[in-house]
Amino acid sequence: MLLVQQLISGLMIGGIYVMVAVAFTLTIGMLNFLNFTIPALFMLAGMVAWGLTTVGIHWAIALLGGVATATIASLIVERFTYRYMRVRYGDATEHALPLVSSLGFLIVFEHLVLIVLGSEIQRFPNPFSSADFYIGGLIIGIPQLASLVLALLIVWGLSTMLKRSRVGRALRSIAENPDASTLMGVNVNFIVPVVFIITGLMAGIAGMLFTLNYAAVNAYMGDEVAAKAIAGMVIGGLGNIWGAIAGGLIVGVTEVLAIHFFGADIVKIPIWGLLLVLLIIRPSGLFGHTAIGKGKF
Amino acid sequence: MLLEVEALNVRYGRNHAVRDVSLSVAEGEIVTVLGANGAGKSSLLKAIQGTVSSSSKVARFSGNDLLSLSSHKRVSSGLVLVPEGRQIFVSMTVHENLLMGAYCRRDTEVAADIEGVYGRFPNLAQRRDLPASVLSGGEQQMLAISRALLARPTLMMLDEPSLGLSPILVNQLFDLITSLNREGLSILLVEQNTHKALQTAARGYVLELGRVVVEGTPEQLRSGEQLEAAYLGAG
Repeated sequence: MLLVQQLISGLMIGGIYVMVAVAFTLTIGMLNFLNFTIPALFMLAGMVAWGLTTVGIHWAIALLGGVATATIASLIVERFTYRYMRVRYGDATEHALPLVSSLGFLIVFEHLVLIVLGSEIQRFPNPFSSADFYIGGLIIGIPQLASLVLALLIVWGLSTMLKRSRVGRALRSIAENPDASTLMGVNVNFIVPVVFIITGLMAGIAGMLFTLNYAAVNAYMGDEVAAKAIAGMVIGGLGNIWGAIAGGLIVGVTEVLAIHFFGADIVKIPIWGLLLVLLIIRPSGLFGHTAIGKGKF
Repeated sequence: MLLEVEALNVRYGRNHAVRDVSLSVAEGEIVTVLGANGAGKSSLLKAIQGTVSSSSKVARFSGNDLLSLSSHKRVSSGLVLVPEGRQIFVSMTVHENLLMGAYCRRDTEVAADIEGVYGRFPNLAQRRDLPASVLSGGEQQMLAISRALLARPTLMMLDEPSLGLSPILVNQLFDLITSLNREGLSILLVEQNTHKALQTAARGYVLELGRVVVEGTPEQLRSGEQLEAAYLGAG
């Protein structure tokens, strides 16, 4: 029974990893670029929301403000890493420059938050403190359940958008062949910011859900989550949305099971151990080159 | 003139790929650009499409100054390029490739036009929901041309469409080009297959090391020595 309880908790925290992993995988699949700013966007959503509640703003509006800040920050990163490099040095995707400058933005954003909002762990008002329900002795937290459902719904919506809509097809065409995509009349300079808006929204909403679940924020809250999300993304297969979903959930479950059986201190070893073993057996990740993986999105 | 460029130059760093090329295509005309590998033919087409940067004295397409149009706007103004190597989207289905071709359009006739393509190419219709990667080379070229047609172009530029096709398919391809032209489409054709290109085109240009060395009707080009010299790389 306790084990089932752990599995449920694992899936719920996994929902947050799924969203962050999808944010990572999207920029890799579309732009061939590991966007290191994602943990900062995640953290900005939480910290800005907390900052807004301290000046008396309602928690719900504060959370929306946090997500909006993350999205705007993501667009700033696009303007000064990806687009700048592209204009200046041609096809930036072939260089490590955007990767390094996104790492720079991560550090800048984190330190700006440190200066303005401080480095302590802050309590976020928990609006659902006792909102749990029980099924046959299993405790299910409403915010956790809501965030798992919301995360999966958003990822499903995103994948439907990529599959069926005009913008979605344009994004996939850029992912496959940006030159041919331009020949179809796709304005790459208009579409690329769309990827960054989606990234900002995904990371920001994940940060919002994390804040609601744990009712605590700090300036480094994004780093650990992002590391686990990257592990999940690689386990699932780079650049593949369904892989990111599976990988994120697997990491969430592995994490709680590891805590259950071995304690919290060594939780990172099973996650990264799993990743390393999987990379030896299947370097492409679970869905890297399978039927699901082939279409990428 | 539908397309008119004067003194067009393309430079990649120190490599001066296209030098002072002047070229025109009249409405309803098939014009071919011939020349050996590396003569600058593809660069010329890419410059006209706007995917590589160029400088020129004049660059006009159906009354618009090309320099004021970015590459994606040239597509919606009726200028399309079927690139070398087809460049179809292999991760997408045949149908999605065609939808991408109509990306620049906002009208309601896209679905009808796609049905028109399926009527013309039953092979594509049969494979509409399969990934484009399953198509044969000939079918991929049909898809690449159909995809370009869905932008409703007035001028279609084709970069070495016959490359890698069997002789039968090459004949079919040139028949298709001729019939598209009869339907009113103007064509600028870059080819290595000099024989077929000169059979099809009304006028031609021969490029050598980025420069136009001779231009004129197919008869003029065939009778002169420059065409052969351009391929043999004399000079």
